[in-house]
Amino acid sequence: MRALDWIVLVTSLVSIVLYGLYRARGSNTVDRYLLAGRTMPWYAMALSIMATQASAVTFISTTGQSYVDGMRFVQAYFGLPIAMVVICATVVPAFARARVYTAYEYLEQRFDTKTRALASVIFLCQRGLSAGITIYAPAIVLSIILGWPERATTMLVGATVVTYTVIGGIKAVTWSDVQQMGIICLGLVAALVTVVVLLPSSVSFGDAVFLAGAAGRLNAVTTNFDWNDRFNIWSGLIGSTFLFLSYFGCDQSQVQRYLTGRSISESRLSLLFNAVAKIPMQFFILFIGAMVFVFHVFVQPPVLFQHAELARIERMEAFQPVAQQYSRAFDDRQKAALALVEAHRAGDRAAAARRAGEYRMAQEGIDQARTRAAELVEQTGGEKGFSDTNYIFLSFVTRYLPAGLVGLVIAVVLAATMSASSGEINSLATVSVIDLYKRYFRRGASDRHYLLASRWATLFWGAYAVAFAGWGKKLGSLIVAVNVVGSLFYGSLLGCFVLAFGFRRVRGTAAFLGMLAGEAVVFWIFFFRNISYLWYNVIGCVVVVGTALAITYLAPRATFATPRTQPPG
Amino acid sequence: MPGLPQVPDDPPPFLGTWRRIYVAVLIYLCVLIVVFYLFTRAYR
Repeated sequence: MRALDWIVLVTSLVSIVLYGLYRARGSNTVDRYLLAGRTMPWYAMALSIMATQASAVTFISTTGQSYVDGMRFVQAYFGLPIAMVVICATVVPAFARARVYTAYEYLEQRFDTKTRALASVIFLCQRGLSAGITIYAPAIVLSIILGWPERATTMLVGATVVTYTVIGGIKAVTWSDVQQMGIICLGLVAALVTVVVLLPSSVSFGDAVFLAGAAGRLNAVTTNFDWNDRFNIWSGLIGSTFLFLSYFGCDQSQVQRYLTGRSISESRLSLLFNAVAKIPMQFFILFIGAMVFVFHVFVQPPVLFQHAELARIERMEAFQPVAQQYSRAFDDRQKAALALVEAHRAGDRAAAARRAGEYRMAQEGIDQARTRAAELVEQTGGEKGFSDTNYIFLSFVTRYLPAGLVGLVIAVVLAATMSASSGEINSLATVSVIDLYKRYFRRGASDRHYLLASRWATLFWGAYAVAFAGWGKKLGSLIVAVNVVGSLFYGSLLGCFVLAFGFRRVRGTAAFLGMLAGEAVVFWIFFFRNISYLWYNVIGCVVVVGTALAITYLAPRATFATPRTQPPG
Repeated sequence: MPGLPQVPDDPPPFLGTWRRIYVAVLIYLCVLIVVFYLFTRAYR
């Protein structure tokens, strides 16, 4: 980090935090603190929702995902527009008219208290774990840039986020997100332009795209169906529709954003903006990863992008043959790539096919060497299932981006993390206070009392997130880890809301037992079956709905006939 | 703690009805998938 990088970094972060806090002044009642007094315009909500999703994980992990696996991850977002349309037509008006603080408050109006409590607890478990992963992501940045231990940086980022969230509430979170999206877009464009400019002069942008495609990095749509395959068009259209229905329809961290809208139309517009903009944005980020891959076809990358682990195994004798294999494969790939470009330009299809084969074979050699190095890490006391996917983009940024841009990219990563984490912690505090504390422990207290309780709950969940940070790195790619954790719980939550909106005859006890059955089946699959996580949401939802319907229509009516309860005034 | 106020439900700012906007979003998704599929095939 050079002086200019520090200036850009500090200026960006301080201005974001101060602007957010400035816009949040007057958040001195519970509805202003948790729902911004329902005064937010659609564009602020839209950008806030987008910024929350485009957290540090997006930059760190998605680009790395594209580098090693191609762009097929974009298919995981194909269900987003479908889900948004369904939510805008059903959930948004229902929540707005019910005048609720949380999605789970609605479940009590529709079912009963125990269903609301179970849904709240499931949300707290799921989002609490995800919040840990979110806070952990930028610790990777600082550990690479500054050489600080990941644990210490996690604590530092966590403390900053908690302080900011406790003071600002949802209004500060939302307005700082708006500013962040500007910086995020700027950072994305700067990163892509830089990587293209850094390509050798003999390689044009068109050549780079061609080489990325020849290496299988531009596989945006894959049509083969496989239950074990995480990303294809079928899991994208079906599985991710359920995932996003759950995320935007049942997850308080998102629901709370559009509950702040000053009208139902503003809330709908904020979601539909995301339906239109999210997939192109994700495509763009993945494309940057593919271009970083092409850049490293001509500039030799380290065997592993996790420098600390690489430094450890480099001293070992067993590493030398790995390094030699890697260097040989790199040279072969570079030669094959240049020959492939020549053949492509000349229009010689036979030569191009031959060179493409050589190019892919050399790539396999590189992949094998990297796999052997990763095995060495594991065999010598490193973490099991070692993966350096999350380090690829940052390694490129810190080594090759010019002064100022490094600071900008790191500011984007840190600011996005602070926003995403603060939103999560804010929603966790909201559910804790509104759905549990106010409902079961302290009814009828003053507004000031609940405001104070919300601030204490925010502090608690911040500490909880920091405690669980680092757990995500054991799950491989962070972007996938976030979705895996969500998918373990989302199907059941979604099933419960499907029952609430679609099946008027279903009562509370049937929904409650259905959720328990859904969770049991999803966890059984997670531990004992190898099925892509995108299907967890579908399976969980179907089991919840099926179980509840079976109870409703098959069990003796008196057995599970729970009278609907009214929430306290 | 006071209850939350009711918020209004205005018509959409364009295309007249929300149903038309939803259809437009779904058509957009179909176009996007076709474009990505052609992109994948072109560079396979």
